[in-house]
Amino acid sequence: MNERFSDASDEELGQRLRAELPRYAAPARLSAAIVEAVAPPRRSAWLAPAFAAAATALVLVLAFVPLLPRILPADPAQRLMRSVVAEHERALMWGARRPEAIPTALPWLTQESGIGLTRVFGGDDRLAFRGAEPVYLEGRRGIALHYRDADGHLVTYMVLPAPALPLPDRQRVQVERWKPALMYDNGFLAWVWKHGDLACFLVSDMVSEAELETFKDYFVRVRTATEPVPAY
Amino acid sequence: MPQSEFERLALEHIDALYNFAVYLTRNPPEADDLVQETYLRAFRFADRFTPGTHLRAWLFQILRNTFLTFYRVRERESAIADDGVPDWDVPMFHDAPEDSSSVMEAHTDLERALRRLPEEFRTVLLLAEVEGMPLEEVARVMECPVGTVKSRIFRAKERLRALLRDYKR
Repeated sequence: MNERFSDASDEELGQRLRAELPRYAAPARLSAAIVEAVAPPRRSAWLAPAFAAAATALVLVLAFVPLLPRILPADPAQRLMRSVVAEHERALMWGARRPEAIPTALPWLTQESGIGLTRVFGGDDRLAFRGAEPVYLEGRRGIALHYRDADGHLVTYMVLPAPALPLPDRQRVQVERWKPALMYDNGFLAWVWKHGDLACFLVSDMVSEAELETFKDYFVRVRTATEPVPAY
Repeated sequence: MPQSEFERLALEHIDALYNFAVYLTRNPPEADDLVQETYLRAFRFADRFTPGTHLRAWLFQILRNTFLTFYRVRERESAIADDGVPDWDVPMFHDAPEDSSSVMEAHTDLERALRRLPEEFRTVLLLAEVEGMPLEEVARVMECPVGTVKSRIFRAKERLRALLRDYKR
C-alpha cells in the first residue's frame, strides 16, 4: 500500500486521503455538552412573569400603604386615644413644634386652643416641665403640656374638648379620690378622665407594672395641680 | 439570523470539525475540548458572522485559531527538555515527532504519515483533500493567499510521499 502512495500522483494521493483516511465522528455526548453549555439557565416559563407581577404588586403595596385608610377603633374614646398617642409619639420623636413656657404663654395658648388653665402643674422634683403647645386632633383644638421625668420618660398632658365622650367603665381605675380610665394603645398607656366637657389625657410609655405605680403618682400630681376650663 | 437557528446550522458541522480536531491534536479528549471551545466561541461571537458566507469555513477558522492559540502554546511549553532548556525552536514546517504512547494509535501508514506532517501541511491536506473544501475557503481558514494554499498542498504531498517511502523501507 505504501508503494502505491509513495508513487501516486497528486490527484491519486488526494483521492486516497479522502477514501482511506479514517474519519472520526464526534461523540454524541459532545453535541449534548455543547448545547448544554450554551443554553441559558433554565427558568420556568411562568416564573419570570409571575416574579415580575409579584414584585410589581409588592412595590405598589409599599407605595400605597401610607395612603391606605387606617383601621380606626369603633370606640370614640379609643379613637381619640389613638390620636393623642400619635401626637405624643411625634413630640417624643421631634419635640414640641413650638414649646412655650408657662405661665407667660398661657394667654396665647388659651387663644390658640380655646382652653384655659386656671391652675397648671409647672413641674416638681419628679417631673420637669419641657414646654406647652396647642394641638389639633380629630377636628378638635386642644393643648398639650410636656414633662420629662428623672428616668427620661416623656409624659404628655393633653386636653381636648369632648363633651359627649364616654369613658369605658371597665377600664376605670381608682386612684386616690379619682377614677380615671387606664387605656392602652400602640405601646403607650394613658390616664383618661373627664373634666366637665373636656377630655384629659396623661400619656407615657410607662407600661410595666413597676412603672405603672410611678405613672399613677404622676397622674395624681398633674390632676391635683391642673384645672382646665373651656375658654369660650 | 436567530441565535437558535445559527446554533442549529453550526452544529451540523460538528463531525467534520471533530475529525479535523482529532488530526490536529492527535488526542480524542483534547479534540473534545477543542471542538467545545470552538462552538462556545462561535456562539459567543455569532454576531460577527456574516450571513450568506460560508459558515463551515468560519467554524474551521475558529477551531484552527483556537488550536494554535492554546494547544500549540501548551505543546511548546511542555516541550522542555530534561535539561530544562525550552525546546521552542521548532522551525515552521518541521515534521512533528513520532506519536508517543500517550496519543492515539494510527491505523495505517497513511494516517501515521499525515500525523507527522507539520500543522500547516496537515491542515491544508485535511481541508482541501479530505473535507473537499474549495481553495478560497481553505485560504480563509488558514488566513493566507490562495497561491500559498496551492503551494502548501504541493509541498505537503511531497512530504507525505517521502514519509511513506520511509515506511516502505
